[in-house]
Amino acid sequence: MTTGKSIMLRGLRKAWGETVSLKGIDLTIPEGKFTTILGPSGCGKSTTLRIIAGLEEVSAGTVEIGGEDVTSRPASGRDIAMVFQSYALFPHLSVAENIIFGLRVRRMGRAERDAKLTAAADMLGLSYLLDRKPSQLSGGQQQRVALGRAIVAEKSIFLMDEPLSNLDAKLRAEMREEIRDLQKRLGVTMVYVTHDQVEAVTMADQIVLMNQGEIEQIGSPRQIYSRPETLFTAKFIGTPPMGTCSARALGIARDDITVGIRPEALVLDQNGPIRARVGHVEYLGADAMVECRVGDETLPCRISGRTELTLGATIRLSVARDDLHAFDSASGQRLDTLPPEFAALSAAQTTAPLGSHASSTER
Amino acid sequence: METARRQWIYAWLMLSPAMALLILFTHYPAVQTIVNSFYSTPRGRRKAVWIGLDNYQTLILDDVFWKVLMNNFWYAVWTIPLSILLSLAMALWVNDKIRGRGFLRMAYFTPTVLPLIAVANIWLFFYTPGFGLIDQIRGLFGLAEQNWMGSPDTALYSMIAVAIWKEAGFFMIFYLAALQTIPPSLREAADIEGASRWYYFRRVLFPLLMPTTLFVSINAVINSFRLVDHIFVMTEGGPNNASSLLLFYIYEVAFDYWDTAYAATLTVVMIAILILLAIGQFFLFDRKVHYK
Repeated sequence: MTTGKSIMLRGLRKAWGETVSLKGIDLTIPEGKFTTILGPSGCGKSTTLRIIAGLEEVSAGTVEIGGEDVTSRPASGRDIAMVFQSYALFPHLSVAENIIFGLRVRRMGRAERDAKLTAAADMLGLSYLLDRKPSQLSGGQQQRVALGRAIVAEKSIFLMDEPLSNLDAKLRAEMREEIRDLQKRLGVTMVYVTHDQVEAVTMADQIVLMNQGEIEQIGSPRQIYSRPETLFTAKFIGTPPMGTCSARALGIARDDITVGIRPEALVLDQNGPIRARVGHVEYLGADAMVECRVGDETLPCRISGRTELTLGATIRLSVARDDLHAFDSASGQRLDTLPPEFAALSAAQTTAPLGSHASSTER
Repeated sequence: METARRQWIYAWLMLSPAMALLILFTHYPAVQTIVNSFYSTPRGRRKAVWIGLDNYQTLILDDVFWKVLMNNFWYAVWTIPLSILLSLAMALWVNDKIRGRGFLRMAYFTPTVLPLIAVANIWLFFYTPGFGLIDQIRGLFGLAEQNWMGSPDTALYSMIAVAIWKEAGFFMIFYLAALQTIPPSLREAADIEGASRWYYFRRVLFPLLMPTTLFVSINAVINSFRLVDHIFVMTEGGPNNASSLLLFYIYEVAFDYWDTAYAATLTVVMIAILILLAIGQFFLFDRKVHYK
């Protein structure tokens, strides 16, 4: 079918009066790939998407689609289709009319129009709903109609603005898969805005993490998870997010460094170099989350659900060298090489079997 | 059994105050009007007597009745569509993000706030031959003086203009309120599909405004029979009944000539017309109206 086009944003700035929403975005979105723009609310991700769509004007910078500068081109001339958070279905039109709305605008012939409608409706399982009004559909069905409208448009780029946020959890998981499949099948370039990191991580080829109008990090889900470039990324990605504490709490005499350790990277180890006290334990079934108190700070640790720890007990923990992340406390930037002092933290590591709490707990 | 009956009594007691008022001041007079139309007008010691359809025969033979009915027809034909179109256009304009939007909205609504009697006085000045506003402007272009309200050709249309000016601002408020409930994402979705402004209006905006249009048009129909205050101030139906409307004629017959029975007959006809129009509108529009 259609092939995707790449999108390139250069020096994108957007301000409404005094409020600066985007502070210079440089971003390349590769063709035919699934890119999610992720970030907390108010970080400028929706604005970025709306600028790509041509619904919002830029204050400075350029937008290129497929190598062409489209900064001043209207939305209809950008070869894009968009699915809105509210779906933006026309309430007085039937499902069929909603889907072919754009084809009617372009005065497409009846036969061709009907063929496209049938194909899209079959693909989305909407065939038996074509005569209904949007108000007679469930949230998931409405979502599919909005997708149908984007599919029949046969554009190279799909833009989606938090399309799943109005659905319940079960449906969301289903639609996630469906949208991912759809993108692969159509081969379009997908730009998907979300504040939900699970959506971003499960669906994306590339994640663009934004914060306060700037890009924090661009990378594959794996890169972003395993090698966060900033403290913000480290704390934003992962459920629960990465635990952080000052280097001093771990017995390293450096005040300018913040240490990050993922909960699953912290393991109980009777010879481990990190001494901690057991704080609150949250039992989750298969595993449990333990608040480990190191100094005055806490690090979360994920242990097997079968291990029982007593509140207030002293435990020893270790962490693999590769799982240690160090950040500059002032700038939040990742330190590329671990300072030598950190060798002590992972040197004494011996892999102790998980769940043998009797051996790893000192009373 | 006993409690059921008690609840009935309770229900009727609760309803009775409102019902008493409605029956006393709405239903009874309405029925009485219909009854009166079959009797003669009581004068002095002569009581009203049953005269059957005599009043209706008089009505059919009454030239003035047919004249005012035609006047009212043209009054409706011009005021209803023009005031609705104008109000819709104004609402669409002040719904956009434009400079001085608040001021414009207020300016459009002002005619509605002003009493029609006061409005009539303003327009009296506009229409005055010679030094009225319209003639002054015409004078700048070397056009002759025109007696807008004094000429049988223009008197009715002068009244129509005042009514449209008065009504459009009022209807605009309803359209404006309806426009604000339409999410902007619909416009954006249409933009992405390449729909022109006109296409979007025709296929999306106007159909979504249909409930408002129905409401406004029924009001406009009622107003086209009801809004006659300015005629009292400006022309008193003249010259030669050129600007007289049905309701104004009823008033004249009832309170100038004191022919109350004939006035009752005219009232019955007017109410019948209004009911027919309202029912017609509901049936005509209802299938086309999409309610959310």
